[in-house]
Amino acid sequence: MTRRNLLAGSMGLAAGAATSLPFLVPKYDRDRRPPRSRVAILGAHEYSARLDGDLMNGLRLFNPDVHGKTVLLKPNLVDFSPGAAINTHPILVAAAAECFRRLGAASVVVAEGPGHQRDTELVLRENGFRTVLDEQRIPFVDLNRDELVKTKLRANYTGLGHLWLPRKLLDAGFAVSMPKVKTHHWSGVTLSMKNMFGVVPGAKYGWPKNILHWRGIESSILDICATVPVHFVIADGIVAMEGNGPLAGTSRALGKIVLSDDPVAADTTCARLMGFSPDMIPHIRETAKFLGNAAPERIDQLALAVTAPKIPLRTVPEFEYLRVG
Amino acid sequence: MVPQIPLRKALIERQLPNGGWSYGQASAQADLEPTCLALVALRWDSSPAQARGLQFLLDAQNPNGSWPAFQGDDQEASGLTPLAVTALASGGIMTPAVERALEWLLDVKGKESHWLWKWKFRTSDTHVSFDPDKYGWPWMPGTCSWVIPTAFAVIALKQAFVCCKPAKVALRIRRGTEMLLNRACPEGGWNAGNGVVYGVAMAAHLDATAAALLALHGEKVDPIIRSSLHWLERSAATCRAPWSLAWSLLALEAYDRPVDGLADRLSDLDPDLIGDTATLAAVIVALDCLVQGNAFKGVA
Repeated sequence: MTRRNLLAGSMGLAAGAATSLPFLVPKYDRDRRPPRSRVAILGAHEYSARLDGDLMNGLRLFNPDVHGKTVLLKPNLVDFSPGAAINTHPILVAAAAECFRRLGAASVVVAEGPGHQRDTELVLRENGFRTVLDEQRIPFVDLNRDELVKTKLRANYTGLGHLWLPRKLLDAGFAVSMPKVKTHHWSGVTLSMKNMFGVVPGAKYGWPKNILHWRGIESSILDICATVPVHFVIADGIVAMEGNGPLAGTSRALGKIVLSDDPVAADTTCARLMGFSPDMIPHIRETAKFLGNAAPERIDQLALAVTAPKIPLRTVPEFEYLRVG
Repeated sequence: MVPQIPLRKALIERQLPNGGWSYGQASAQADLEPTCLALVALRWDSSPAQARGLQFLLDAQNPNGSWPAFQGDDQEASGLTPLAVTALASGGIMTPAVERALEWLLDVKGKESHWLWKWKFRTSDTHVSFDPDKYGWPWMPGTCSWVIPTAFAVIALKQAFVCCKPAKVALRIRRGTEMLLNRACPEGGWNAGNGVVYGVAMAAHLDATAAALLALHGEKVDPIIRSSLHWLERSAATCRAPWSLAWSLLALEAYDRPVDGLADRLSDLDPDLIGDTATLAAVIVALDCLVQGNAFKGVA
């Protein structure tokens, strides 16, 4: 080998390393996957007072440590459209509040920051939340208008570096994501991780939080979920939404509630229940590298087994490839 | 006479020591929107609270003329900056601060106004139906135009340039009103930004519809304005949420529609039950418009 060849080879190697290195460096701070995750699928076919007992039985499978903690329930509360399965049902949210109180929580609050509708009180009233919250004396926090804390992001998919996040969310001892199981015309699905878009405050980022769309919905989901701890998931799949979700789709009865101590495992399971391939959904695939478990061998299935529907949920044409079979 | 004494008293009691107002009563962090609405609500008071609020607002302005969304923000501009212009103007303040704010407003555009994004929205990204030639103002610089910041910007510009409008001002008002008309929902009214997404008509929101109608006040009444007024009248009649009711009253009053029913519902409100201070201030502004004039009426 001549000195000229050696020099050319070294330069080639250096150039190759310089161009490929940024793509090889992980965009998350560290691998925080638990050794194992647990998921429980509960059968439930209607929103009724029976949910209290069913949910309590489900939660006891996990024995969540909420004693003396403030539990923050984050439902998916977007807008109002009569008869549409847009929002997490208030009866399920009320049942969750009652269960966590009985499990020893010091307090339970419901918190949400709707993405488009600025009148949060209107959304609460029209969807039946206000009545339920008042009857059960459950405080509500408007995450769009809470005091804000500058928070360094624990991943760098958007390049934003930090987000201003609501103090009540950051101070909560136990955060529960309570998504509505839905298809989404921009991200394929909206489940427990996409549900966390609602914690980004409108007072700072607007209605909608358009900066997150410009930085990429998938990237934003990854940065938010890497930064905001989700301790537990209760997904409302009793009546789901298919087609042109998250607002204009149609109702589809799935008859399931999904509980999990890991949002990645929860969303993986929900995707399968929808008849979708979870590893085709970018934010599930990526978070499975550092945040939670998607591999079936690392998930303990409690209660019912995962069964895909005979006909997968409909999607917009761009996401047809998610449907299995 | 200054009406709404209990509501006004509650609003003043919620003022923070620094002179601003926060959305929530538990928060010590002053926010732009409740501060501006409170100052509009107190514009006839000539009270120490109003003076301290105006000073707080002037001190909070960013060097580029915009306002941050809240106290302690990173000097990033808020899409509600035009509310500060309305608040200062309604308090009789037309200082260099207002001029800087107006210059900033004239420079900021929705991202779709750039030729590259126009091309993208016309060719590949066509799920949302809108004409990118018709642009307004974004919530944050570097993002698309949306109804609320555009409506407030048009109102602020119309109020600041009542007599004569320089060409640049006239152009931005024209583009803003075109954008609002272009993005109305097919059945009347406005959603947050677009009327049709993925081929589906969006449902209108009361407050966005009211703000858009206030911005379009004084423009030639066309079918979109007529159908939106009709939608607003019909929807507000059954509404019980104070924020939406207040904005509906302001818009309907501007168009000389009957608002007694809405005013009765707002007058009955107990201030202790209105947790959000921006809502409390909006209710006062709405009820005052029947006595002291409409602070948000845009003029052509």
